Amino acid sequence: MGPMMYAYKCTACGKLYHPSRAVCRECGGREFEEIPLEGEGTLLTYTRVYALPEGYMKPWIAFGIVEFPNGLRVSGQMATDDLATGMKVRATVGLVKEGVGKDYYGFIFEKAS
Amino acid sequence: MIIDKLEQSLRPPESKMVPYPAKYITLASGEKMVVHQATREDVPCLLEAVRPLMTVEKDFYDIVAARLYAELLGYYRYRVKDEYCLVGTIDGVIVGMVNGRMVDEKVGMSYHTVAIKRGLRIGAQLFAAKMEYHLDYLNQEEVWIVAESPIGYRRWMIEYELESRPSAWHELGGVPTHVLTKALWEKHKAMKCTGRRPVPPEMLETAKKLILPSEYPQIPGFKR
Amino acid sequence: MRKVGVAGVGHTKFGRSDLPLVDLLSLAALEALDDAGIKTGKAHEVDQVFVATMGAGMLNRQSSVASALVDTLNLQPAMAETVENGPASGASAVKLGYMAIASGMCDVVLVVGGEIMRVVTGWEATDFVATMLHPEAEYNYGLTLPAFAGMFTRLYMDKYGVTEKDLAIIAVKNHENAVRNPVAHIQLVPNLHAITEDEDANVINPYVADPLRVYDVCPVSDGAAALVLCAMDQADRFSKKPVRIAGIGQATDTHVVAERKEPTDLLAVRLAARRAYEMAGLKPEDINVAELHDAFTILEVAISEESGLFPRGEGHLAARRGDTRVGGRIPINTSGGLKAKGHPLGATGVSQIVEIVRQVRGEATGRQVEGAKYGLAVNFGGFGNNVVATILAREE
Repeated sequence: MGPMMYAYKCTACGKLYHPSRAVCRECGGREFEEIPLEGEGTLLTYTRVYALPEGYMKPWIAFGIVEFPNGLRVSGQMATDDLATGMKVRATVGLVKEGVGKDYYGFIFEKAS
Repeated sequence: MIIDKLEQSLRPPESKMVPYPAKYITLASGEKMVVHQATREDVPCLLEAVRPLMTVEKDFYDIVAARLYAELLGYYRYRVKDEYCLVGTIDGVIVGMVNGRMVDEKVGMSYHTVAIKRGLRIGAQLFAAKMEYHLDYLNQEEVWIVAESPIGYRRWMIEYELESRPSAWHELGGVPTHVLTKALWEKHKAMKCTGRRPVPPEMLETAKKLILPSEYPQIPGFKR
Repeated sequence: MRKVGVAGVGHTKFGRSDLPLVDLLSLAALEALDDAGIKTGKAHEVDQVFVATMGAGMLNRQSSVASALVDTLNLQPAMAETVENGPASGASAVKLGYMAIASGMCDVVLVVGGEIMRVVTGWEATDFVATMLHPEAEYNYGLTLPAFAGMFTRLYMDKYGVTEKDLAIIAVKNHENAVRNPVAHIQLVPNLHAITEDEDANVINPYVADPLRVYDVCPVSDGAAALVLCAMDQADRFSKKPVRIAGIGQATDTHVVAERKEPTDLLAVRLAARRAYEMAGLKPEDINVAELHDAFTILEVAISEESGLFPRGEGHLAARRGDTRVGGRIPINTSGGLKAKGHPLGATGVSQIVEIVRQVRGEATGRQVEGAKYGLAVNFGGFGNNVVATILAREE
């Protein structure tokens, strides 16, 4: 199985987070359990960035903020150029950055069919 | 003028090249930059425009200016085959130039791009005009390109997604060659290349006068 | 608490510098000390030095910059600390200087902010600035400050009807102000038509992070700015009447931008400004001039609203009407702002206060806001997750 992305659920009050954190915003709980974060969501906003930071050999990358049905909002890369706010997207996990000696995986959203 | 036989044998044969049709671009400042093809007679003036930059180490101006100087001199004295130079001017003042040559019907060889005036994306516009000349007017299939500065690499190799072709031997020392193919040009042209034709006659006349820049942002306190 | 004021200001030319960081900081510091008219060297009167810099460690590979500065300025044995709070480092250092004096621990504090950023390429600088984002949830994706600004702009446009032209109007205004400010980086005014409606506009003013274009984004600059802070009860020691720091507010927000409840809100700006007004006993209507952190043109709009200068959703309308120009109802970024004066990160918060001091002193030649008495500076860190608002007041 490939890399997974997770939501972090406060074991005390059940509130979900992504990314992980030390203390729950709602109840102050300090323990969280990992729950797979996947499936479809809604694209809230996006941008195509043409001035990429050092390390990217592409003319541009699209990024977006996506809301999952459980209310969690995350940033990710967009795999499609056919972008509109409010569109349905599907979360995949892929290589988002090639690092020196280490690759980074994260959300790459595709257009939901 | 009669050219003696030895000199004649030193000169490369010249191919017929469609001239680059002049255009003008409205820059962010609102100024109009005319891009037109320099004539061989313009070269001494262009050399003077380039000369001060040969000692500017920052951003690789020195290597670009020194090589451009030599290339233009080669063109002027008939030592490079099928070379051309496009010059950008604002109110006649030289703000940048690009050069290259036609290798054969299919392949263009991009030499250098130098922006004298900075902050208005003049280099990017002149580079695009050079590609336009090779691919849209000389109707070549591809242009071979190398970058000497990181900014050049970013602007050309990454932004145009140039095809890496290390097996091709670019004339500028064979450093890793990248290629702008016709297909890549068609993909990126709309975002990279702009301008209007024809240039109004008066504007073109002014452009052709070629006035040397009185200041170089690369050289604080410059005096000619 | 003792009242605190600004007795002297200094500011290097922003742009590109070949100086080492500490030498650049020294230039601004000496100008501020001379402006305050206090002794330097052996018989100096500085109790504490704060240096604001975000990039010294990562870009210049130098640490403990304040210790180095205090020595080259011959201000030993003054206390010295280096302050890093992202792009809000400058205003944070001023806040710490304020606290040092208000507490009674110090009488005179030198605050210097500065950055040498042009030692790296633009995309290395973009990468460095992005290190303040969340490492796993943001930075590793290639997300940057322009990316968040682009996404924020799209939401703002959809919600409030802000147009690309509105943003360009702000850019042109700030560039016009910058050419009247000799220390500003960019001394060139873009033409509104050329960067928006001209048929070449898409190519000569391309997208950086759509819908933001090149002329919506601040340049990468080197530069330094400095302030001499003093206890107001010591005001007669200085050559100019100190400008009082009437209020300071600071607030934080979620580190991860996507987690914010309302993605068009900049809560930290709202809270920081509210606290500064409360402390100063002033209302937004009292402010005569403001320096707002316009790293992107959209931020001038959003910060002008969140700081109460205009109702929500109307910042762009105010800019359209000309309310924010010099001579308008509430001039914003008379210095040229980050957009045109430049944004040497650690210097910015200090530089904003330098401009406000010059405005309330009546020294902002060519861009003076007539009768300016109260000025607001908002210095913005992260994508709004750490914000410092400072209000200055002319003492009668």
